Amino acid sequence: MKKRPIRSEITVAAFGALFLTLVTVSAGAAIDGITGPAFNLSVGTGHISTPDGGSVLIWGYADGAGLAQYPGPTLIVNQGEVVTVTLTNNLTVAGAGPPPNVSMVFPGQQVVVAPADPGVAGGITSEAAPGSTVTYEFTATNAGTYTYYSGTDSALRVEMGLTGVIIVRPAAGVDRAYSHPDSQFDREYLFFLSEMDPRIHQEVEFNGPAGVATTDYLANYFPLLWFINGRNAPDVMSPAGVSWLPHQPYNCVPRMHPGEKLLLRVVGGGRDLHPFHHHGSHSRIIARDGRLLESISGAGPDLSHEVFTIQSHPGGTVDAIFEWTGKGLNWDIYGGTDVAMPHTCNGKAVGVAQDLGAPDFDPITHEYCPDHGKPFPVSLPAGPNMAFGGFYGGSPYLGTLGSLPPGEGGMNPNGGFGYMWHSHTEKEMTNYDIFPGGMMTMMIIEAPGVLIP
Amino acid sequence: MKNTHFLKMMKVLLLLVTALFLSTAPSQALDLAAVEAQWTPPGAVSPVRMWGFVEDPGGCPAAPVAWGTGPLQVGTAGGSLSITLRNCLSEPVSLVIPGQMTTLNPQVIVDSQGRTRVSAFTNEAPAAGGTATYTWNNLQTGTFLYQSGSHPAKQHQMGLYGALTVGSYPGVTNELTLLFSEIDPALHGPLSPTAATPLTYKPKYFLINGQSYAPGEPVPVIATGPRTTTLLVRFLNAGLMSHTPVLQGPYMSVVAEDGNPYPYPREQYSVMLAAGKTMDALWQPLKNGTYALYDRSLSLSSDGAAGGGMLVQLAVDVPPPFNWSLFLPTIIGAGIPAVP
Repeated sequence: MKKRPIRSEITVAAFGALFLTLVTVSAGAAIDGITGPAFNLSVGTGHISTPDGGSVLIWGYADGAGLAQYPGPTLIVNQGEVVTVTLTNNLTVAGAGPPPNVSMVFPGQQVVVAPADPGVAGGITSEAAPGSTVTYEFTATNAGTYTYYSGTDSALRVEMGLTGVIIVRPAAGVDRAYSHPDSQFDREYLFFLSEMDPRIHQEVEFNGPAGVATTDYLANYFPLLWFINGRNAPDVMSPAGVSWLPHQPYNCVPRMHPGEKLLLRVVGGGRDLHPFHHHGSHSRIIARDGRLLESISGAGPDLSHEVFTIQSHPGGTVDAIFEWTGKGLNWDIYGGTDVAMPHTCNGKAVGVAQDLGAPDFDPITHEYCPDHGKPFPVSLPAGPNMAFGGFYGGSPYLGTLGSLPPGEGGMNPNGGFGYMWHSHTEKEMTNYDIFPGGMMTMMIIEAPGVLIP
Repeated sequence: MKNTHFLKMMKVLLLLVTALFLSTAPSQALDLAAVEAQWTPPGAVSPVRMWGFVEDPGGCPAAPVAWGTGPLQVGTAGGSLSITLRNCLSEPVSLVIPGQMTTLNPQVIVDSQGRTRVSAFTNEAPAAGGTATYTWNNLQTGTFLYQSGSHPAKQHQMGLYGALTVGSYPGVTNELTLLFSEIDPALHGPLSPTAATPLTYKPKYFLINGQSYAPGEPVPVIATGPRTTTLLVRFLNAGLMSHTPVLQGPYMSVVAEDGNPYPYPREQYSVMLAAGKTMDALWQPLKNGTYALYDRSLSLSSDGAAGGGMLVQLAVDVPPPFNWSLFLPTIIGAGIPAVP
C-alpha cells in the first residue's frame, strides 16, 4: 500500500541523472539586471499586469530607451567602480500642466552630479526636467545590496513605481556578498518587496498627479497588491522576461540543492513593512543597508543572527544566508527502509553502519547520514483518500516522482521539496482580496542531480 | 487611612533622601503645564485643536497657545528629575517616561459593568488647574519620550508628548533631537477630543519636531553645528505609526535603542523607528553642506498632497540664513558654494 510500483523506476531515472551530472555548478549570478558602470536610464510610463486580471499604470525607470519597468533595472556593478547614471525624463502624464521632474537618490552612496549635466535643483537631489537629463556619479566603495528610488515627491513617485535595486559585487569574487569569506554563497536571489494602492494609479491615469492631491489616498493608504520583484504570485513564478509581462521582467523562483548556501538580498522597495517569512529553515542575517553585521571592520559577520522572518523596512536592505539540509527531519530524504531505493550515505548502504568519525553529510547527495535509512514517519493514505497540490510530485522523497491521478501535480517535474516563502503579514498573500497571490513564491529544494540555471 | 498616608509620606521622604544621594549633578527639569493649544498646518488657514505640554507659565493661559512638542527635558545620568505638572485641561493628565524607573500609582475607575479598569498609569494632576509632581531617580542614559500616562489612546495623539535626553556618549560634543509624530485632525475637532480615539486614526500631517514640510514651502532646516565634531542624532517616535528615517547619503552608527546601548554600533543609513521607539545614532559628517533626512515610509505628504511631511535638511557647518537650495550642490558633493 505504501509502495507504488511506478516509483522505483522514476527514482532510478532521477538518480541516474544525479550521477551523470555530478559536476560542481558554479555560483550563478541568478539575479537579473544590467551591468555598469555606465548606465543610461529613462523614466516613462507603462501598464503592469496583475493576476486578478488588472492592469495598473506605472511610472518606471527603463534601461535606455527600453520599456518602463517595475521595479527599475537592477544595476549590477563592481566594488570600486565609478558609477554614472544618466537619467532622461520621458515621463508623460494626464491632466493639465507640464510633466513633473524626475530624479534618483542612492541611499548609502556619496553621490555627485556631473558638472556637465547637473540637471535642476530639487528638494532632495538634482532632477531631470521634462525632456532633459541629469547625470549622477558615485564610487561604489563598498560591496553590498542597495536601493535607489525617486528623490522627487517620493510619496507618489515610489508608489508609481520609481524604485529599484543596486548590487555592488566585491572584488573578492562573484560568489561573495562582501569581501569576507563568511559571505560566500552558492546561489543568490533578489526579494524586492513592495505594494501598491490601485486607487492612486487610477487617479494618476485619469487626472494626472494633481488629481491625487484632491484625495486623501497618500495619507489614507490602503494597498491591495503586493509584489516580489515587481510581480504578484503566481506570476512571480513565471520565467523572467516573458513576453506577456513586458513591464515586469523579473521573476523570483529560488531553487537550491541540499547543503548549498542561498544569499537572500531582501530590499524594502515600497512604503510598508513587509516581514518576509521563509519556510524550510532559518536564515542568518549577515548585513543590513549594505554593511556587514560585524563588531569591527574586517571581523566578518560576527554579529549575524538567525531568524525565520526577515524584518525588512522601507528603503533598507537585508542580506541573509539560507541553508537547507535534511538534518533534523529524522527521516531519510532519499527514502528509508520503507522503500526499495538503492542509495548510499558516505558510501554505506541502508543498514550498514557509518565508519567512526565519518562526516555528517554525504559529500554528493548531502544526505544527513545519521538519518540514513530512517523511514518516512507518515503512512501515506491510498490515492483516492488524498488531496494533491500542484507542487506534489507523487512522492515525499527528494528527486523522486510517483504516480498521480490524471491532472494532478505538474509544477514539480524534478521531485523537489517546495516551501512557500511569503510575507508574514498574511493579508499580503492576496491579489485584490483573492487568495493565494501577492507577496509569495515557492522555493524548491532540488535533488543534487537537477540542473539549476 | 492614616497608615496609608504615613506610608506615602515615608515613600516621599525615601524618594527625597534617595534623590539627594543620587543627584550627582542637577538635571535641567522644566516644570510643565498641559494646555489647550492650536497648530496651523503649513499652507492651511484653520488651526487644528491640540493639547500640548509647555513650560509652566505659572498659571493657565486664557487662550489656546501655539502648539509644539513638549519642551526638551535634559537629565543627568544617575541623577534625578522632578517635574511638577499643572493641568489646564478639562480632564486629568499625568506624566510617564517609559524606560525610566519610578514608583507608579495606577489610577482606576469602575466602569458601567462594575469592572475595575486602569485609567491612568500613575497619579494625575486634576483637571482645570490641578498639579502633581513626578520624580525619577537614578536616571538611565539615553533618549526617552515623556508623555501623558492618562487615557494614552486619546492624549498621546492629541499632542501630549516631548523628549527627555540623559547623558551622552564618548566623543560627542554636539547633538540633535528629532521627534517624529503625526496629527489626524479629524480626531481633534473643537468638540471631539472627548470622543477622540485611535480606532479611525489616519493621520494627514507628519511632523519632525512639531514641524511639517508642505509642498511649495521651504524645507525646514536644522543647524547641526560644526562638522569636525561627532554628532549625536536622537530619534524618537511619538506617533502611532512606524517611520523609517533615512539620512540621504551618509551612514550613521546606531548605538542605542530605547536607551539601551548596543554592544557594538550598527552602520545604517536607515533607522526602523516603531511607535514609541527611541534610537541614538552617531554621525560624523564628511563634508559641509545640507543633508536631507526624511521618512522612507513615505509619510512625505501633507493633507494628501505629495511633497511634504517628514523631511528636514540638516545644515552642517552652514551659517544662517539657511536656504537649502543654495546648498543643494553640497548635498551631492559638487563643492561648497559661497554663502552670501
